[in-house]
Amino acid sequence: MEKNYKLSKWLNGEMTKTELNEFQSQEDFAIYEKIKKYSSELEIETDKYNEEEMLDKVISSKIKLNKTKPLYKNWFLKIAAVLVIGFGFFLGLEAFSEITEIAKNGKQNVFSLPDNSEVVMNSGSKIEYSKWNWYNKRQLNLSGEAYFKVAKGKKFTVNTNSGKVTVLGTQFNVKSRNKRFDVTCYEGKVKVKSTKNEVILLKGQTVSFENNKMIINQSVTENKPLWTLNEMKFEKEKFKNLIQEIEIQYNISLKTYGFKSEQLFTGTVPTDNIDITLQIIASNYHLKIKKINENSFELVTSR
Amino acid sequence: MSSSEVCNESVFSIFFRKNANALRNYLYYKFGNLSQAEDITQDAFIKLWQNCADVPLEKAKSYVYTIATNSSLNVITHEKVKLKYQKRNTQNVRIHENPEFLLEESQFKEKLLKAIEKLNETQRVAFLMHRIDGKKYSEIAEILNISVKAVEKRIHIALTELRKEFDYFK
Repeated sequence: MEKNYKLSKWLNGEMTKTELNEFQSQEDFAIYEKIKKYSSELEIETDKYNEEEMLDKVISSKIKLNKTKPLYKNWFLKIAAVLVIGFGFFLGLEAFSEITEIAKNGKQNVFSLPDNSEVVMNSGSKIEYSKWNWYNKRQLNLSGEAYFKVAKGKKFTVNTNSGKVTVLGTQFNVKSRNKRFDVTCYEGKVKVKSTKNEVILLKGQTVSFENNKMIINQSVTENKPLWTLNEMKFEKEKFKNLIQEIEIQYNISLKTYGFKSEQLFTGTVPTDNIDITLQIIASNYHLKIKKINENSFELVTSR
Repeated sequence: MSSSEVCNESVFSIFFRKNANALRNYLYYKFGNLSQAEDITQDAFIKLWQNCADVPLEKAKSYVYTIATNSSLNVITHEKVKLKYQKRNTQNVRIHENPEFLLEESQFKEKLLKAIEKLNETQRVAFLMHRIDGKKYSEIAEILNISVKAVEKRIHIALTELRKEFDYFK
């Protein structure tokens, strides 16, 4: 057995003298001698890596050096993981959940959608939309009134109780209160769909529906809604709706004690001066204004 | 207190400097990919450092080798082991050697590299650990977890295999 491995003995300098003498007399000793010599000159064919750098990395891999560390570390990691996942879930929920924008009575609200489309909400309005997948599905739900400046992109849809407005990137105003539905196009092209009708509006056109019936389809001269310029424009508006709109705009209570009028109101009133507004209404319907306090007014028949 | 000296940073550093290079080389002889060999080496020492409290110093060496050997099982791409000869700085020697000898020498060296490439993994690893890293047979046996006899056998076979490549040199 040992004889078999004599070469390794020789390589390690473990041969006895007699063994060595015998080996040296062999023909191939010279070759083995060369193999031994040159193989001792070998090295790996790359520059030596930075050993100290690796040592630093190894040393700094450990944060703490005490016996209870594994448990502490595990607990810490578990808590951290729960927090991270929880936080991620929270963010995820936020992305998936509906976002609600509200303009309270007497206040307007301006905000941007994820694609930088601008929305100006008139008083007493609510918009709901979802950030999730916004670029592929630009749609929102509106109750109340809002003016949209839509960034170019895919179809943009405004859903209301009375109908749907779809555009490709333009400026338009949508108002949906009670059973009335008004849409005005200020730029580009707008498709309006109520339950029964479908209308395409071009720049400067407006359409109104009441109880799903088209009541107005005409042109406007303004290039943005008057309510954004502190004025309210009414077109064949019912007295009841008119009063409600004023209540919303000024965030006041306006009692009329069951006064009824079939006379529809067409005209413009300011949204920043309650006295002038009430005078216009009062003189139109022959009513008297009674101021109860700052936020409460009554309109009574002058007789 | 600290249950093992290994947790002492200076003891650990000395141990690292003594063994890291040889461990990397050993891995390199096995599968021929240097950067993977270095990654595995680093990971093995990180494991040792993190579990230092459980590893007595006398077991530390076999600990890093075992971890490194185990993780090297996942290495799929085996490449050729690339070696070279150290540059001799003794210029004078060359001047006195005759050109014929120099030519023969470079041919032989070239041939030897090819022959080592051809060795199978177990023989190559044992042979190079002895020749390049200067490890004793007993050390190699310990690292490879085999008997000293088995190491001798591998070295012996490696030498006879290498020898076969030089028949024409007689």
